[in-house]
Order: sequence, then structure tokens, then C-alpha cells
Amino acid sequence: MSNNIFSVSYFLEIFPKVVGKLDVTLYLTLIAMICALILGTILAIIAFYRVPVLYQISRVYIAFMRGTPAAPQLFFFYYGLALISTTITNMSATTAVAIIISLNMGAFMSESIRAALMSVDVGQREAAASLGMNGLQTVIRVILPQAIRVALPPLFNDIINIIKMTSLAFMLGVKDIMGVGRSEAALSLRYFETYAAIMIVYFVVIMIFSFFSKKLEKICNEAY
Amino acid sequence: MIQVDHLYKKFDENTEVLKDINLHISKNEVVSILGPSGTGKSTLLRCLNYLCVPTKGVIRIGDTTVDAEHHKKSDVRALRRHSSMVFQNYNLFKNMTALQNVMEALIQVQKKSKKEAEERAIELLEKVGMADRKDFYPSKLSGGQQQRVGIARALAVSPDVILFDEPTSALDPELVGEVLNTIQKIAEDGATMILVTHEIRFAREVSSRVLFMDEGRIAADGKPEDIISHPQNPRLQQFLKYFAQT
Repeated sequence: MSNNIFSVSYFLEIFPKVVGKLDVTLYLTLIAMICALILGTILAIIAFYRVPVLYQISRVYIAFMRGTPAAPQLFFFYYGLALISTTITNMSATTAVAIIISLNMGAFMSESIRAALMSVDVGQREAAASLGMNGLQTVIRVILPQAIRVALPPLFNDIINIIKMTSLAFMLGVKDIMGVGRSEAALSLRYFETYAAIMIVYFVVIMIFSFFSKKLEKICNEAY
Repeated sequence: MIQVDHLYKKFDENTEVLKDINLHISKNEVVSILGPSGTGKSTLLRCLNYLCVPTKGVIRIGDTTVDAEHHKKSDVRALRRHSSMVFQNYNLFKNMTALQNVMEALIQVQKKSKKEAEERAIELLEKVGMADRKDFYPSKLSGGQQQRVGIARALAVSPDVILFDEPTSALDPELVGEVLNTIQKIAEDGATMILVTHEIRFAREVSSRVLFMDEGRIAADGKPEDIISHPQNPRLQQFLKYFAQT
């Protein structure tokens, strides 16, 4: 039986081991998602108001993050920059992965959020100004609530990319779904079963996430 | 109460939209601004609350004076607290119901309690005949209904002057009447209003004073019967003749 191309029994054995590391993947996703959202919002507001100096810096940053792949970014940061920074040398691999995903996806999210901010009609801002509302009140009470519903679909897309990007964590030795599967497969040489199990877990996680994101989009669209 | 001195607005070197506008408007006056398209009527109105920043000149409303050449953000906000605006495209906050639209400035700007703001807002919605639709979002209201809510919202801040920027231009013809009736009612209550409009007959009925603008200047200024019924200015005669035909 162990000579079969696809061993069901090995699959059933490896599957729980992979699922057992789901917490690491979800933890990475959650941290990276929150940090990327915060970074993306800040970058988007800088771009929206064209804040001098910061705007130019942010454009270069976004172009660089979008124009280079995450894997070399990860190595450059964790092994390259570690040579000159003890903070990075002492950093756990998980933290390093979370930082790189946040920096990378924050750049993508800022573009989604910026587009949504710009989609709000200029008349809305004029109405708020004509009533004597200040800039911050206008953004919080009028612009952001209207921008969020526009930003949700592309942001959900970005979050799905974060979930998938966490699978790069194995490159720094993190034992997440991908990491644990990879070392198991290296021992058993059962690649077929192992990577099938890994993909199924990612797929189910992303399907569940998509289900709830569609619900949320619907609720947001019903409001007005 | 409103004083405009030597107001200029240039969009670029060659397009000077307002050329040396001087204007005084007293309390309780209802002033209509007429004139061909592109003569700076809306620009003048939008300069009064700095949605459009003038190139040169001084604007005073109530006790706030703003000089275009060295204006501060805080001055502009102070100026805006004296006025409110009704827009051509209504510009109701899309994420708020009719009631919330009217309450918003009362809570955010005037710092009134929620209860107080709601009572005042409902009172105003009743005045414009929209109380029964108070929980509707703008997308569920007709243009005329949205504009009536827009008028209630403008009234809410108890402005010294209400600026109407072509309030009926975006409306279907059959909805113009309900909005004009609402504006007339407010005029009869003694509000100070400046009204940019193409509704000549309405301007004649509702205004105490009519301005005719041509090529960035105030070309005629007087009582509606003088300006509209017995025009002296040849450009004005031509303009009115064109409207009489349509």
C-alpha cells in the first residue's frame, strides 16, 4: 500500500499534522493584516492629501514594494539587514515574516484605499465644508464611511493574498502549515499526499473567509 | 451684513471670472443673481463661503472678515459658520438618512446634544414637508425630496445667510415647483438669502433685489420690477428676451 501513488492512509496521517499548525498561519495572517491595514490607511491618506515630502517618499516606497517579489524581500530583510542590525538578528522568524508581509501588502492596500477615497464625490466634501465641519470631521463622518464600501472588495482580495503569502514563512524556518508539511514530506518523500493536504487546508480557510467577506459586503451595501 | 470689496477671481492668467465685485447685502434681503452661463454667478456665490478661494478682495459676513490675500484656515471656518449652502446636486451625505443629514452639523459643529439636534431636525423636516421620510437614505428619495432635505440641512445651522447655487437646475421639470415653494416659504419667514437661478419668474416673485451679472461684473442691480420688467442695460434686455422666448 505504501507504494501506491496516492496513499490514503498517509494522507489521513499527515492531514491532522498540517491542520495542527493552522494556528501559526492564522496568527501570522491576523498580525500582518492589521499592520498592513494601518500602514495602508496612513499611506492612502498621505497620497489623498498629497502631504509634501511624505507623499514623494511614499510613492517610491510603494513602487519598490510592488515592484519586487516578497521572497527576496524576506531574505534581504532577515539575512541581509541582520548583518547591520542586532534587532533583526535577535528577531524571531515569525516576527520577521509578519513585518515583511505587512510592509509588502500595506503598499498594495494603500492603493485600494486611495482609490476608494478618491471615489467619494467632491460635492460631499464641499457640503461638509459649507456646514463648517473641519477636515478631520469630514474624513471620519463622511469620506471614510462612504469609501469603506468601495474599498472592501479589493481589500478582501489583498487579505486573501496575505493568507497565501504566509506560506513563504517556511523559507525562514517557521513551522506553519507549509513549513511542517515541507519537513514531513522531506522525510517520507510523500509529496503528493502532503501538498494535497496543505492546499486543501489553505483552500478551506480562504473559502470560509470569502463566505464571510461576501456577507459583510452585502450588509455594507444594504445600508444605503 | 454682507460686504464684498474689490473681489477678483482668476482661474489662470487668461480667465478672470470675477472682476472687481463690490456688493453690500443687508439683513432680510432676498437677492437673486441672474445672468448668462459662465459669467461668474456661481463662482461669486462659492467665494462667499470660500469653497472657491478668491484671488483678491475682502469678504465680510456678520463679524467675520476674511482677506483673500492672507486668509487663515480658522478665518475661513469662522466665515462658513455664518452661512450655509444649498447645492445644485443636493450633495446630501449619502451615508446618512434625511434626519441624520440635518442633525450632522448641529452635533458636529454646534455641539448640541443628540436629543436637541433631533428635535430641531424634525421640526425643520416638517417645515420642508419631509418629516414622513426622515429615515430614508438620499438614494431612496427623488431629486425634489433630496433638495428639500438639503434646504432643511442648510437651515439647521441657523445661518445669517443661505446661499442657493442653482437649486432647481438639476431637477426634472415636474419637481421644480415643490422646491421653489419651499424656498419661497423660507423667504417669507424673513431669512436672508442669495439665490443663483435661471428661474426668472420665480426670481421676480421671491426677491427683494436682483443682480444681473455679465462677464464677471455686476452689470445691473436693483428692485426686481426695475431689473426684470423695465431693463435698461442692453445685455440684460437681450438676456431677458431670450428667456421670454423659451
